[in-house]
Amino acid sequence: MKIEENILNDVSSIKLEGRFDANTSDAVEKFIREKIEKGCSQFVLNMGNVSFISSAGLRVVIIIARELRNEHQGDLHIAVLQPSVKRVFEISGLNNILKIFNDEQTATEAFSK
Amino acid sequence: MQQSYDFPADTAVLEKIGRLAIDAGSNAGFNDIEIGDIQLAIDEVCTNTIIHGLKNDQNRAFQMVIQWNPGEIEIQIHESGEFFDPLDLDDPNLENIMEEHSAGGLGLYFLRELMDEADFRIGRDGVKTWRIVKRKS
Repeated sequence: MKIEENILNDVSSIKLEGRFDANTSDAVEKFIREKIEKGCSQFVLNMGNVSFISSAGLRVVIIIARELRNEHQGDLHIAVLQPSVKRVFEISGLNNILKIFNDEQTATEAFSK
Repeated sequence: MQQSYDFPADTAVLEKIGRLAIDAGSNAGFNDIEIGDIQLAIDEVCTNTIIHGLKNDQNRAFQMVIQWNPGEIEIQIHESGEFFDPLDLDDPNLENIMEEHSAGGLGLYFLRELMDEADFRIGRDGVKTWRIVKRKS
């Protein structure tokens, strides 16, 4: 799993590349947690290059979004889902709970609205 | 067509298992959505086996058998690790999935939703077997 971060207007955009599964989910969670501990509370998770997600990956998305909303007045926006990943979000119902955008820029700008 | 593989209890093998699932699903004639479902189901079973059954002990192994015919695929996962009955897990609370502890059991939920058959048994010899089946609709 490749993880890259770009910060714009206090929003941390994190781009993932590869599989988001039980082998990689801990690294993603650790990466985001370190940013939260440094004071960031607004995140965009760009998953355009994520080819696969399992329940282990979804679990990280859920607990990070929950923590940001409940404890930091922040949120986790999801940007760009491949069809197979989008299907997993839909089956789990997360597409109705999280804010999902078609591109990273819109997901980032949504924090300032 | 049937193929059998032995893997160490290491989540690093999940990527290779994913590729095998894609190849087998494609050879059985499933479309991209169905192949994605098969890949997810196999990943969930193997993750469960590695983490809960074999406690991430890379010195222990599990066996995966993939059998397919046109329009049908069956996967069996065998392991003889710690006693663990995944069917004891509650279904996830999808209505309140953002609440604490509501996301547990998602993997098992995916199995039931995406596959035509998903059953688990423990043999007299202690070997635990997951069997999942998908047929073209």
